[in-house]
Amino acid sequence: MFRETTFTDIDRARTADDAVAEFVMDEETFRAFYDRTARGLWAYLARITGNRELADDLLQETFYRFLRAGAAYNGESHRRNSLYRIATNLAHDARRRNLARIPPSVAGDDIERVPSGRGAASVERTADFTRAMSHLKPRERAMLWLAYAEGASHSEIADVLGLRPASLKAMLFRARRKLAALLGRAPERGKP
Amino acid sequence: MKPLDCDLEAEVLALVLQSGWPDRADAGLREHVAACAICSDVAAVAGALDHAREELRERVTVPDSGSVWWRAQLRARREAARNAGRPITAVQVIALACAMGLLGACFGATSAWFQSALAGVRSSLASMKIHTLLPSATSLIAGHGVLILAMAALLLLLPAAVYLAMLRE
Repeated sequence: MFRETTFTDIDRARTADDAVAEFVMDEETFRAFYDRTARGLWAYLARITGNRELADDLLQETFYRFLRAGAAYNGESHRRNSLYRIATNLAHDARRRNLARIPPSVAGDDIERVPSGRGAASVERTADFTRAMSHLKPRERAMLWLAYAEGASHSEIADVLGLRPASLKAMLFRARRKLAALLGRAPERGKP
Repeated sequence: MKPLDCDLEAEVLALVLQSGWPDRADAGLREHVAACAICSDVAAVAGALDHAREELRERVTVPDSGSVWWRAQLRARREAARNAGRPITAVQVIALACAMGLLGACFGATSAWFQSALAGVRSSLASMKIHTLLPSATSLIAGHGVLILAMAALLLLLPAAVYLAMLRE
């Protein structure tokens, strides 16, 4: 049975189709890009928020905002930076909203609940790492993750985190020193 | 001034990210890392982060790309339809306000009772003197200060609360 349709409905449907047409890429391109980036982005979100359920939600929101951003991208690297910048901002907003609810000392423990088929040594190593990461500031976690897990350059990290490239080197140095000390491999204030 | 980086740092990082540290590193580089605080930090931190990343990537199940695309489409359509409906609602509200105003004006112009009441209010306002009002206003504020303050706060806060609720929505 046909539904009774008014001109307003037709206008609204047209507007809705226009909204989808405004996505920055078509379905095929999006799906390929998503398959390349989603797992890495989820890991980044999980590490900087310390909460896997929040990472799940932010992942979807990030890709949606990315699609609606309406920006022109120069290539894969530009696209990826944009995606991570959106994710970083969303995580920052979520942290500000939930700051009173999540004590910093337990941030990250939640990630350990993801089922693992690995051995005890690997689990212990990850637990040590999570504990160490939970003592860092969110920006330090993001900076280190982008630099050493994603292999991003200084200019890319500065772009994603909205920092000045000139100050990034010193900030990264301090964050790395701090994490190395927390991992028990170097004195935090030792001579380099 | 303390150095913030080392020339061999990138080489160490590349080996760690390719899972080649320390096995694929030559003896010279291993010796350097043992002596250089920057490179040893890079090796330790990058090794831990890379391991954590691989662990998470292996264990995580992200939603299927097709379902994410479908949900994004659905949401974009819903938002567009809502946005398209918003101006219509605004026009309806303005039209209602105009109609109410017009009705009020017609009633005021035609009703004899309303005209006489209006004349009475006008004359009482003209005969009213400010200096006679002040003592009664002061006694009212003194007697019901808390109530007046609460009403004033309500008048100020209510629009702000409505605005914030609409903003969140």
